[in-house]
Amino acid sequence: MRGFDFAAPTTIQGILKAAKGKKYKFIAGGTNFLPDLRHAHDGLPQLVIDISRVDALRGIALAKGEVRLGALTTMTDLLENKIVAREAPILPAMAAKFAGPIIRNRASVAGNLIDGGPAADAAPPLLALKAVVRLAGPAGKRAVPLDKFLTGYRKTAIKPGEIITEIAFPAPGKSHKWGYYKLARRNAMAITVVGTAVVLKMKGNVCQEAGISLGSVNPAPSRCYEAENILEGKTVDLVLAQKAAEACRAASAPIDDIRASAEYRKLMCEVLPRRLICQALNIPLD
Amino acid sequence: MATATKKKKASGNAKGKTAARKAAPRAAAYTPPPKFPISFTVNGQEVRAEAPAHTSLLYLLRDLGFTEVKNGCEAGDCGACTVLLDGVAVNACCALGVQADGREITTVKGIGTVDNLHPIQKKFIEHGAIQCGFCTPGMIVAAYELLEKKPRPTREEIKAGIAGNLCRCTGYVKIIDAIEAAGGEMASAKGRKS
Repeated sequence: MRGFDFAAPTTIQGILKAAKGKKYKFIAGGTNFLPDLRHAHDGLPQLVIDISRVDALRGIALAKGEVRLGALTTMTDLLENKIVAREAPILPAMAAKFAGPIIRNRASVAGNLIDGGPAADAAPPLLALKAVVRLAGPAGKRAVPLDKFLTGYRKTAIKPGEIITEIAFPAPGKSHKWGYYKLARRNAMAITVVGTAVVLKMKGNVCQEAGISLGSVNPAPSRCYEAENILEGKTVDLVLAQKAAEACRAASAPIDDIRASAEYRKLMCEVLPRRLICQALNIPLD
Repeated sequence: MATATKKKKASGNAKGKTAARKAAPRAAAYTPPPKFPISFTVNGQEVRAEAPAHTSLLYLLRDLGFTEVKNGCEAGDCGACTVLLDGVAVNACCALGVQADGREITTVKGIGTVDNLHPIQKKFIEHGAIQCGFCTPGMIVAAYELLEKKPRPTREEIKAGIAGNLCRCTGYVKIIDAIEAAGGEMASAKGRKS
């Protein structure tokens, strides 16, 4: 192995400076970085920048009705943090099923998203929460809605020299209903077969705003806009939930792989959203 | 016959070697990858090391003699390499050695030793939770963190707590028994103290 250079800045500016003009790779928890290193699909970096010592990238806050997750927020943080538990319990629900406890201690939310993988578990709940990704780079700061940030199979809208600083979403409020389900072949340490997330802002039985997303069934995790439109502004019952579920199925393009067939996944893209919507709203499924 | 063959080989080689020396281009001088200083503590002992940046924490620890940290998969899947990094359980195979600079590592030997067994280790022995022993160091570190966070876990919580640690020998039941028993003993010891 050629070997690479290494830097461990302690500020965001330090990261940007170190990255300038180099073929670099960031490392945070390392739970993707190290296992992927042996494959080195796009070649070895010249420089590895350890971003885990930048305190400015840590922390979870609720400010101006918005929940802000520092880029280095780990899955364990999502499980243990009181703000998240109160404002967006879908996130600890996802974190509880993410890999295993030891990986969770290191795996960062930003790392999971930047990997761009179709099965990234953090994506469906954050998409359903209508999250935005905030970045810092040589050209300054910018924000990209998560559904525009995940552009394709292992592709994101991040530009060279940029770093995710935080992921934020409007706090859905006390009356929101939610559902999350990770369909997988094991109870832990499993790559998702179909991931589903539903966040519904309700006024009585009327859905004011819906966020519905699927993971592992498209090149990138994505929202089902048609399903959301079907529910919004309407009284939700089993018939409407079924219509939304059918729209989810239509919006999925799963593949056959070692874990499941495309046919099975396609069917689950209808079953799981219908189930989650109904369970969230206490609509009997029969 | 053997001698004849040897002679033949010798002359053949001499011809080949001369030809090879003439044909080889002058290669650039070899430069090793840069090494970085890593100053940290392992089980309370100060350690100073130097390693290339690509060395994982797993390889670093083992090369420094901490071979109780086992290499099972190098992919973050098996948990055999579980150590505490600043008190938090991590897979050593998923961290770079250089990331340990200035930090505290605890391996299973920092939790208890042969002369001073931790209750978790005692219970593992008592309950027959060790067969080949390869998963045991990582399993004990994981159990240690679990019991710190949840002093009296249910069996379901124990299963979730060791979900990242694979065992090919025991079938897990006795490991769960041992952790349950250790939790009970540690909790009652705490109760007696207060």
